[in-house]
Amino acid sequence: MHRLPTLLSGIFLVFLTAWLGLVAYPAVQLGRLTPVADADSGASLPPLLGGNAVAGQRVYASEGCIACHSQQVRQTSITQSDVTRGWGARPSVARDYIRDETAFLGSSRIGQDLSNVGVRQHEAAWHYLHLYRPSSLCAGSSMPSYSYLFNVRKIQGQRSEQALELSGEDAPKPGYEVVPTADAMNLVAYLLSLRHDYPLPEAPVKKNAAN
Amino acid sequence: MSKNLFYNHAVDGSSPHELLEAADQPSIDSTLRLPVIILFGNAIHWLVVASFLSVIVSLKLVFPSFLGGIGFFSYGRLAPVARDLMLYGWALQAGLATGLWLMAKLCDRTLVNKGSITLLNSLIISATVIWNLAVLLGSLSILAGYSTGVEWLEYPNWASAMLFLSYLLIAIWGVLLFERKRKRNAEVAQWYLVAGFCSFPWVYGTANLLLTWKPIQASAQGPIQSWFCGSLLALCFLPTAVAALYALIPRILGGHLHRSDLATLGFWMLLLLGGWSGSARLIGGPVPVWMTSTGVVAGILFIIPVSIIAINLLGTMRRCTPQADHFLSYRFLTMGLYSLIVLGVLCILCSIPTVSGALNLTGFTEAKYQLCLLGVVSFPLFGVLYLALPGLIGRHGWCDTLIERHYWLTFTGLWLLFCLMILDGLFTGLALDDPAITFINITSYAYPFHLLECVATLFLLAAVVTLGVNFTVTLAGDYLFPEN
Amino acid sequence: MGTKPLSPWLIGAFMLALLWGGLYLGFNSGGFRQDVYESDAVSWAGGGSAVQAVPDPKVIGKRIYSQNCIVCHQANGKGVPGQIPPLVGSEWVDADSIHGDNHLVLIMLHGHQGPMQVQGQTYNNAMPQWKQLTDDQIADVLTYIRSDWGNNAPPISPSFVTLLRKESESQTDPWTQQELMALPHAMCPPSASGTTPNASPMAPASK
Repeated sequence: MHRLPTLLSGIFLVFLTAWLGLVAYPAVQLGRLTPVADADSGASLPPLLGGNAVAGQRVYASEGCIACHSQQVRQTSITQSDVTRGWGARPSVARDYIRDETAFLGSSRIGQDLSNVGVRQHEAAWHYLHLYRPSSLCAGSSMPSYSYLFNVRKIQGQRSEQALELSGEDAPKPGYEVVPTADAMNLVAYLLSLRHDYPLPEAPVKKNAAN
Repeated sequence: MSKNLFYNHAVDGSSPHELLEAADQPSIDSTLRLPVIILFGNAIHWLVVASFLSVIVSLKLVFPSFLGGIGFFSYGRLAPVARDLMLYGWALQAGLATGLWLMAKLCDRTLVNKGSITLLNSLIISATVIWNLAVLLGSLSILAGYSTGVEWLEYPNWASAMLFLSYLLIAIWGVLLFERKRKRNAEVAQWYLVAGFCSFPWVYGTANLLLTWKPIQASAQGPIQSWFCGSLLALCFLPTAVAALYALIPRILGGHLHRSDLATLGFWMLLLLGGWSGSARLIGGPVPVWMTSTGVVAGILFIIPVSIIAINLLGTMRRCTPQADHFLSYRFLTMGLYSLIVLGVLCILCSIPTVSGALNLTGFTEAKYQLCLLGVVSFPLFGVLYLALPGLIGRHGWCDTLIERHYWLTFTGLWLLFCLMILDGLFTGLALDDPAITFINITSYAYPFHLLECVATLFLLAAVVTLGVNFTVTLAGDYLFPEN
Repeated sequence: MGTKPLSPWLIGAFMLALLWGGLYLGFNSGGFRQDVYESDAVSWAGGGSAVQAVPDPKVIGKRIYSQNCIVCHQANGKGVPGQIPPLVGSEWVDADSIHGDNHLVLIMLHGHQGPMQVQGQTYNNAMPQWKQLTDDQIADVLTYIRSDWGNNAPPISPSFVTLLRKESESQTDPWTQQELMALPHAMCPPSASGTTPNASPMAPASK
């Protein structure tokens, strides 16, 4: 190993071992997983994402939600706490992510795990309010306000359907309403689509916990 | 000037013929001057910016309304910018500067021959400009909302491509030096440097190709991203830091490395396990169970290379005392070694499945990352900086009081931050384990730790500002009081 | 330069570590298959198989109680005489012909203010709202208080809480006794199987 070519070959071979295991193998095996058909309804699982939700993923990426939120319900042989806390009916598996452009697994839980947030909070209005003023829904929350994803505008004729229901000091001036921008709508559509509660061959859901 | 640490054939060397030949060759330091100073200078600049942003980010965690409601300053955009600046602005550039300087000194060769100095300098300047443009514009893009969303790889594709290419243009010189080395047998530190130079293109290129340039199906992205995070730290940054320890600690002590055969074993084990170290993040994740088990095994076996390095260097340190004139650098180097030992122990702890189940994804993971980047990697780089600059500018230059201040401020900041994050991780992890404790209560448990972490980041900011001032004054002195 | 051979203890320790690593991988890798996600060996986390353990709602409920309710209602459920009503033997907790399960759940969701009659005594204190707890958590803690200290009433199911939460969305202030008693009496359906991820609350304690 005192000549450069020998040293480089040695280094290359050693690097190759981890690369094969952690990069090549997943790319070939996990990267080629296909959806499966639901045993009962024949629908394709994981479910397809609607157009807004796909755009919402880009908003999730660019807002850096991954800095505080994870999207993985952990295997029960390592810890039961994710499932017992109600963050998911079953642990997440690789196939759950095949519809995503980016797997936002996350490495930090300053905020809650979001892999099943579409099950826990299935109303768009809750999400809009939470993004606009997190402190109004959860006092003491460290989540910052995403008010820049919303527009405060004069009410034109009738109140818009999408206007947020705000009260107290969060409410806009009289005659004004707070409406979500396209980014906010896409992001909320994505959040509502986040659910890993369907059964998969490698991750069955217990009968009495099925929705 | 302080005693020369490295055998310099032109001064200590054998035959008159060699001395004559040496007389009209540029000295090693003169070829190193521009590359090392420019790389270190830019690195220190980004270190200051990153530390400042880290303070803002910690403040935003405890006061979410601070700078709130503005997209440019939102937490989710600032936090990745701060992290990427530390990784690609500071650590990688300083690592390259260290690598080039050490390799030239160990190989006892000038960076290039006399005729190629202009070419080298212009190439290095261009590469550095491209690099720092990539970092600057990439960071601004993230703040403007164009992040890729992949952790540690948030720069837009064009920025990461620029970074990749400029790295190649600089690192190639270090690798080629190895082939030209003067002694027949290489020492371990030189192997580590070659590994450090070669790993970044492989690691960064693969990760970007598969995750951001032409992303593969998301089901496979988790393991690849974890591999990237582990390899960046363990294969790109760590070898350069370890090379600095192996090369400089014995020389400052005036002795030899305790056991070089052990060091060889440690080298191969570090390269082997470093690549697998990323799988520790996957324990419990959405991956087949064999990857979780691999993460456990890799994390626990990481103690082998760490203990080899520790035994070797502690054995060397036990037998000798450091020369007084290099003591300030020596302290930085040894603190890097102690941080590495703590990191090894922490890796074992984090890999035990029960512990990982409770503490993964909390402040524990962040503590490991901060210890690695600020402790294990940055301390030796500081040590090298303080050692290298006097030789490059031809006089001592540094203000020793400021070096002392830098050391103690970084020491306090790092260990305070580390302990706070460990405690934060412990409290939140154990609380998350109990489903009866509501999440908002857990946030309130973590609050005091996050508040004190702001204080720790302030210490670190003060430390890097001290370094920045010292560096600027030292260089400016070169222009204000030029010597021949 | 050290020329003596490497310490056998050191080499032995490294060999042992590598051996452990190999064995661990051998037993815990599910045959290196890509569709096996749970280890089929005994895992260090305790628990043996991939079956999710179904937690006992009373155990969770007790923990929620000791985190949140114990300050006022005390560990023995007897409250503070004259100030905080007891839960032991309380007709609001155990439900009777006048007090329904729905009244209990609604008190948890929105709180209570003004005078309240419990076992012939009047208490005039304010109970805060607990709607920030999830439906599971509210159901678990109510199931717990109905089963401890001699109380023996049927469990409350999370779906019942969900239903009542939705129906009472417009209620902003804490209830007064008058408002509650004006609401018709309703009991939690006994065979609710639960549409939430956690276990059926009707199952007897299995631990």
